[in-house]
Amino acid sequence: MKKVLITGATGFLGGSLVERLLAHGERNLRITVRPGSRRERVLAAAAKYPDAQVEFVEANLIAAKDAARAVDGVDVVYHLAASLRGAPADMFLNTVVASKYLLEAIGTRKPMRVVLVSSFSVYGVAELGRGAVVDEQTPLETHPEKRDMYGQVKLRQEALLREYAAKNGFELVILRPGVIHGPGGSAFSSRVGLDLFGVFLHLGGKNLLPLTFVDNCCDAIVLAGQAPEAAGQVYNVHDDDLPTCAEYLEAYRREVKAIRHIRVPYPALAVLSRVLDRYHAWSKGQLPAIFTPYKSATTWGGNRFDNSKLKRLGWKQAIPTADGLQRTFAWLRAST
Amino acid sequence: MWKKVFLMTLKVALVGCGKIADGHVEEIQKLPNRARVVAVCDLEILMAEQMATRYRIPTYYDSYQQMLERERPDVVHITTPPQSHLPLARLALDAGCHIYVEKPLAPNHRDAVALVDAVASAGRKMTIGYTYLFDPPALEMRAAIESGVLGKVIHVESWCGYSLAGQFGAAILGDPTHWVHALPGKLFHNNIDHLLNKLTEFIPDDEPRIDAHAWRRHPVQFGDIRDEMQDELRVTLVGNGTSAYATFSSHVKPAAHFVRVYGEKNIMHVDYVSRSVTLEPGATLPSSIGRLVPAFGQALQFLRAGGRNGMAFVRGDFHFFSGLNRLISMFYDSILTDAPLPIPTRDILRVSLWMDRIFANIGAGRGRP
Repeated sequence: MKKVLITGATGFLGGSLVERLLAHGERNLRITVRPGSRRERVLAAAAKYPDAQVEFVEANLIAAKDAARAVDGVDVVYHLAASLRGAPADMFLNTVVASKYLLEAIGTRKPMRVVLVSSFSVYGVAELGRGAVVDEQTPLETHPEKRDMYGQVKLRQEALLREYAAKNGFELVILRPGVIHGPGGSAFSSRVGLDLFGVFLHLGGKNLLPLTFVDNCCDAIVLAGQAPEAAGQVYNVHDDDLPTCAEYLEAYRREVKAIRHIRVPYPALAVLSRVLDRYHAWSKGQLPAIFTPYKSATTWGGNRFDNSKLKRLGWKQAIPTADGLQRTFAWLRAST
Repeated sequence: MWKKVFLMTLKVALVGCGKIADGHVEEIQKLPNRARVVAVCDLEILMAEQMATRYRIPTYYDSYQQMLERERPDVVHITTPPQSHLPLARLALDAGCHIYVEKPLAPNHRDAVALVDAVASAGRKMTIGYTYLFDPPALEMRAAIESGVLGKVIHVESWCGYSLAGQFGAAILGDPTHWVHALPGKLFHNNIDHLLNKLTEFIPDDEPRIDAHAWRRHPVQFGDIRDEMQDELRVTLVGNGTSAYATFSSHVKPAAHFVRVYGEKNIMHVDYVSRSVTLEPGATLPSSIGRLVPAFGQALQFLRAGGRNGMAFVRGDFHFFSGLNRLISMFYDSILTDAPLPIPTRDILRVSLWMDRIFANIGAGRGRP
C-alpha cells in the first residue's frame, strides 16, 4: 500500500490535508510532528477511517536522522512545513534549511514524488503593471531582497527543491496557492490590508483576492500527489468567483464583526510608500520598511488570476466560494 | 589620528548567521566610515547565503577557516552558540583578527578565562555583546550619577523580564535539542549576562557573596529536557559596600527591563523599555502637601524623558539597537585609535564567574522557597 508523508500536518492547511487525503482514499499516512505538538485534529480525522494507518513520527526536520526516519519507506511527500512568521533567520532555517534536510534524506529513493506547497508570493509581479494576469508562466521574483521574508523564503525553497529534483530525479510538483482561508485560518490576508495600532488600513480596494477555501486547496494538493501527469509541473491554486478585497472586507464586517478601517487608495499608498522608504533610508531603519514602492506594487498593485492549468489537471472546486466564505466567517465569528 | 580613522575602514567578517547576526550586520553597515562587512559564514551554507543576499554582502562561506584565509578580516563577529566561542575565537586570533563575541562568552568561567588569555597572548582586542550598557538610559544614568545626584550607591536592583512566548522562547520550547538546553545554566545562561553586567559598575568585588534561588513555573508538557528548564531566578549579591538583587522572570508581565539604583540621596529608576531615567519622589514638603506634590514631579520627569525620546526620534536617532551600535562604534574606535575598550575585560570575567556561582548555587537543589 502506498505510503504518504505529510510535513506540517498539525498546521491550519495540514490538518485539512490529512482529512482530504483520507477522503481521497489514502490509507497509509505518516505525519511528522514536533515533540509536544497538538495532534487532536489529525486523530479526529483518522478516527473517521478505521481502516487507515496514521503514524506519527516525532521529528525536528533540521536534524538529519529525524528527516531520514521521516522519509523512510514513503512514496509521496506532501511538504507543507514552513515558517510563516518570526525572525528572518528562523523563518529561513525552519523552511529552507528544513527542506534541505528532507531532500538530503530523500536522496535518490524511487519511486518518489514530492509535492511542495509554495505560494503566490514567489511571482515577480511588481514590474508587471496593475491588472496583469498571474499564471504559471508569470516570471519568478528577480529581486527577492526587496520582498518580505516570507516571499524570499518560499522563492529559495522552491529553487532548492527544483535543484534537488534535477539532481536526484524524483518527481516534483509545485503548488502555489493564493490566499487560503477556512476554519482555523486567519481573517485577513495582507492583500486586503494591515492592522496598524488598532486601525485596519484597507489597502486592497477593488483588487481581486485570490482566495482558495482550505478544502478546495487540499483537493488540489491531493491531486498533485496522485495524478501521474502532474509530475514536474507547477500549478496555481485559487477558487473561482473571486471577490474583490473590498467585497471581502465588507462581508467580514457584516458577517463577523464591524472593524474600524481606513481605505487607502493605491495612488495614496504609492506616495506613502515612497515617503516611508526614503524615511527608512534617511533614519537608518528607525522604523521598519513595511511599505516600500516595490512591496506595495507587489501586494497591492492588483492582478488578475488564472487557474485553468489546475482545472485541466482535473481539479474541480468542490466548495463554492460563497459557501467557503460562510464557513470561514462562521468560524471567525465563533472565535471572536 | 583624525585622518587615520576616516581613511581606514575595518574589514569585518561574521560567523554564525542566526537571528542576532542581523542586528550586527545592520549596525555595522551604519558605520561605513569605520567598517564594512566583507563576508559571512555559517556551517549551513544556506544560512550564510540568505544573510549575504539580504544585506548585499559580497561573499559567504561554510568554511570558517577558508573565510579567514581568503578574506583576511580585521575583525570577526562571533554570533554562534556559546559552546563554539572559544575554538572560533582562537582561530580568529590566530589569523590576527580582533573579536566581538556575543554573550554569553563561554559555557563556563574556565573557558571564559581561556578565551581572554588567548586574546591577550595574540595582542588583539575583544569585546562582548553587553549592549544595554550603551543604551541611551544607561548613558544618562551614568552622567546623572557622576553629577552626584544619588550620592554613594548603597544597593542596586537589576530586573530582566522574559517572554517564553517570544520568538526565541518559542524556539527553545519547540526544540529539545536547542543549544540552550545544553548550557549549564540553560535559559538563564543565555540571558543573565544582561542582568549581571549592569551590576559590575556598582559592585567592585571580584567575588561578592551570592545567594541564588531558581525554579520552573511553565507547565510540564513535553516529557523531555524542556520540562526541566527553570524559568524564574532570584539572586542576591553582597559586595564590600554595595549589595544587589537580580531578578530574571519569565512570567511576570509585562516583561520589564530596568535597574534601580539606591543611593544615599536619591533612588533612580532606569527603564530600558521606555528609555526613561527618573528619580523616586521624596516627601520634601510637610503634611498632606507632601503627598500631593511628588506625583506631579514624577509626571514632569516622564514628560521630559518622553520629550527627549521624541526629539531623538525626529532627528532619526532613536533606534532599537542603539546600544549595539554604540558598542560596535566604541570597539572599532578602540581598534582604530587605540582608545580604551568599551567594556573592561575584568568585568567580562567577573560576570562569567558570577554566572558559574549562580548555576552552582541553583544546581544544588535551591528551588522555590
